[in-house]
Amino acid sequence: MNPEFRGDSDHHDGTSDATPGGYPAQRRPGELGFAIFLTIASLVLLYNAYGISGLGALSAPGSVPMATTFIMLVTAGMVTLRTARMPKVANETMANDILPLLIIIFIGFLVVFGLMLKPVGFAPTAALFLIVAIKVLARRGWGYTLLVALGSLIVIWLVFRVVFTVLLPAGIVPEAEFIQIFRNLLSGN
Amino acid sequence: MYPKLIGALVALGLTATIATAQDYPSKEIQGIIQWGAGGSTDTVMRSVTPHAEDVLGGTVVMQNMTGAVGAIALNHVAGSTADGYTLLMGAENPMLYKVMGLGDKDYGEFIPINILARGTPILVANKDAPYDDYAGLMAYIAENPGEVRIGSTGPGGVPSVVTAMMNTVEGELDLIAVPYDGDGPALTALQGGAIDVMPAVLGAAIEGIRAGNIKPLAVFDLAPNSKLPDVPAVTSFNEAYSTYLPWGPFFGVFVPKGTPDDVVAKLSDAYATGARHPDFVELMDSRGFTLMSISGDEADAFLTKWQQGTAWLLHDAGLTKTSPEEFGIARPGE
Amino acid sequence: METLLAIFTIFTQPQLLLLVGIGTFAGIYIGAIPGLSVTMAVSILISFTFSWDVYPAISLMVGIYMGGVYGGSRTAILLNIPGAPSAIATAMDGYPMAKRGEAGQAIGVTTVMSFFGGFIGILVLALAAPFVSDFALTFQPRDYMLLAILGILLVGSLSSGSLVKGIFAGAFGIAIGSVGRDPLTFTERLTFDLQIMQGGISFIAVMIGMFGVSEALLQLQNVDKVAVRQKISKIVPSFATMRKHLPLSLQTSTIGVIIGALPGTGGDIAALMAYDHAKRVTKNPERPFGEGAMEGLVAPETANNAAVGGAFIPMMTLGIPGDAVTAIMIGALFIHGLNPGPMLMIDQPDMFWFIVGALMTANVFMLIFGLTGIRIFTKIVEMPRSIIIPLIFLLSIVGAYAVNNAISDVYWMLGFGVLGFFMRHYGYPLGPVILGVILSRLLDDNWRRAIISEREDLGRFFEGIITSPLSLTLFTAVILIFVSQTPLWSAAKIRLFGKAST
Repeated sequence: MNPEFRGDSDHHDGTSDATPGGYPAQRRPGELGFAIFLTIASLVLLYNAYGISGLGALSAPGSVPMATTFIMLVTAGMVTLRTARMPKVANETMANDILPLLIIIFIGFLVVFGLMLKPVGFAPTAALFLIVAIKVLARRGWGYTLLVALGSLIVIWLVFRVVFTVLLPAGIVPEAEFIQIFRNLLSGN
Repeated sequence: MYPKLIGALVALGLTATIATAQDYPSKEIQGIIQWGAGGSTDTVMRSVTPHAEDVLGGTVVMQNMTGAVGAIALNHVAGSTADGYTLLMGAENPMLYKVMGLGDKDYGEFIPINILARGTPILVANKDAPYDDYAGLMAYIAENPGEVRIGSTGPGGVPSVVTAMMNTVEGELDLIAVPYDGDGPALTALQGGAIDVMPAVLGAAIEGIRAGNIKPLAVFDLAPNSKLPDVPAVTSFNEAYSTYLPWGPFFGVFVPKGTPDDVVAKLSDAYATGARHPDFVELMDSRGFTLMSISGDEADAFLTKWQQGTAWLLHDAGLTKTSPEEFGIARPGE
Repeated sequence: METLLAIFTIFTQPQLLLLVGIGTFAGIYIGAIPGLSVTMAVSILISFTFSWDVYPAISLMVGIYMGGVYGGSRTAILLNIPGAPSAIATAMDGYPMAKRGEAGQAIGVTTVMSFFGGFIGILVLALAAPFVSDFALTFQPRDYMLLAILGILLVGSLSSGSLVKGIFAGAFGIAIGSVGRDPLTFTERLTFDLQIMQGGISFIAVMIGMFGVSEALLQLQNVDKVAVRQKISKIVPSFATMRKHLPLSLQTSTIGVIIGALPGTGGDIAALMAYDHAKRVTKNPERPFGEGAMEGLVAPETANNAAVGGAFIPMMTLGIPGDAVTAIMIGALFIHGLNPGPMLMIDQPDMFWFIVGALMTANVFMLIFGLTGIRIFTKIVEMPRSIIIPLIFLLSIVGAYAVNNAISDVYWMLGFGVLGFFMRHYGYPLGPVILGVILSRLLDDNWRRAIISEREDLGRFFEGIITSPLSLTLFTAVILIFVSQTPLWSAAKIRLFGKAST
């Protein structure tokens, strides 16, 4: 094994944040595309940073963003060129090793979660997410799924909403009224 | 317990649909604080609200919502239902959003529940500075153009307004304005010598002055402040300042326009009572704030006057993005 | 001398002792849950302890602060989600240890080292507060800028693998940090004229997304694997281990105290700098850094807890907050009728010694609670992945939302989670991104302040650097570290010493 490489031998996705995945001298499926994407994104950001205050004073608000996005563009360009010259990794495919169906499904779940959070409210959205996610992953009975999902949701909700008074989006649930009634009950009114 | 719970659940269904002012507050009230935890606005709001809660008989859950100079919090509350369950707890900045190009809303979209207190600006200097009062500073600037570094907190902040006042009264001063993100960090820099002078709010500088770490030059008011009776008022150096004074940042609680009158009355009453609490009065006094506790027409008049004076001052100093005229802000005295 | 006795006030009143204990215990859990921050907890406590006396209120806050800074390491080790920004560096070697079934050992070392660092921090606070605060005040904008550059250069040691990808990640982080309305001029930067971008991108959202969500997405691929069984023997590190790491922990504690005492920098930067320091000075770690090196836990954990004592130094001596939590405590002291500022030490020296005493007590409680609850904690990682992964997602969402009550932060968090997922697959290190976000403001604001102060004159700017001993020291350090990371240096080394560097 290459001494420079300290990644995870299962999926080459890194053992921790200090040791990223990938191969030192080969490119994985989609790696080139990702590098090109980063290069283009850097270019867009550089153009946008230039628009902040143009090439003017050293102290202008745009000077540091311009410098950093320029570095991004240069390094992303270098990565792209290097990656393009590397041979492809044998026997790895996009669908098997990088982005299997399950992960696409979960990214979809998260996007739906984000979209529903505000209009529907935290409690129903989170309940739905947990039930579906645990059902899909654990493949156990409904009783188990519901118990685990709702049980943990109640704990999280109590900690954040009641103890730490984080105002999670209420949506369709009249949360505030409910808590007030509970408070009244406790204070014995 | 059970009948009570069932009753509660029934009540829940009812309150969700018809929330009347009689039983206001029937649920917890959200108080959105425009600035971060530990700042002046935060401290003032967290210390007055518990007293107001006692009068109101409800709970006010306070949250800090920072970002974009407070515009995020302002837009959030402006966009919420005008039912008195979302309060905006803010400072003076929104009155300048329009002219500074920071947003298209200001307190004009809100009803003031209570303008609690007003701060007094004070010009302070590094303790080793070669001048001891306002006149000395002016002479020093004249002799050493472009050498004096003055702290600022970004366009529209207290220091920028005071500096604009100085430039208007004394003629263009050749200063280097070094921006900081709040008067706390700027005063720290002043003590370390990174900046030479700084127009700050009296409350923020008072402890440093008492310890001799910061040198006061002049109070920006018509008369010396009772907290620092030895520091002369700026008008004693230059009478022309009296046109713009008294001036100062303020703190207030607001609800969106359209909130039912009786809810507004209930909230105003609660905060007015809360502001009279001895603990709060003492806190305001020790921090050098002038307690105002005004509401209704009086508060509206105060806001209008404040906005006119400040917006035009900044505009005349060339610091605004858009003329106050565009937004129908009349020049003071017109 | 009489005032010194105030240090023992806490022991004479069982109620205060109890409050510090409760605070520390709560703090550990608050710190461990991503999105619940000590800052938030302490500011809620201001309203909660409003009617109390000042001593009980401060006792509770001090406990929460001490416990919270330590608690962040728990989830960093167990789930790779740093519970608090100061635990980011802890995740780098702590999580690999948990993956090997050594979570118990990792937590044990972390706890003892946090105690040690905390102790050093409090000691410096008690003995040298005025001296350190005078030193902290001498930092000029250009010194902060040089400090930030020094921090940015850590990219080299935070990223194994491709250095170019590391530099990209670091620059990306700085760019993320500059999104939104610029705090100095209120100019919109990199916002694409979108309302949602105005407030900027919350650093916590980036952190939770990049570390938590991307990790959970990767784990989906191993959902049916049985979780690693955790060894729960050897929790308390042996005396020999402790002695071995003593020199390092003293150095990193010093880094922690100084960075903590500087207004504007806190435990997060201290921990990352200490991690980098450890990587430089440790010649032969038992395991390479990033794969579960003990030194990679010792350094950040001593530093971030030492930073607690450090943060109190400017607060107690000058009334200047050392970080966000001490800023709120200053507010709390005001509300309780005290006037925190340079006069506090003279007018009310009791308060100073009381806080020192409370911090000491909280530190001891932290050690006790830290070493007793480990078994239950490690059970978390032994839970079936099919349950823990959805819960990580949910906690990440709530946590990102809770920071600033903004739904946009949830979107950012999810976006950065997916981006981080691809970055991991393709060998881009994530550490430098976070480093860049943390240091972005420090670098950007202070660069501009420094150059504005010199009227845009680079000549005067460098003259300032060369004539100030502090700036010159920092500048030399920047140059040395920069040169040592470039290929040029390795080439020179080979020529000079005739062998390749290790």
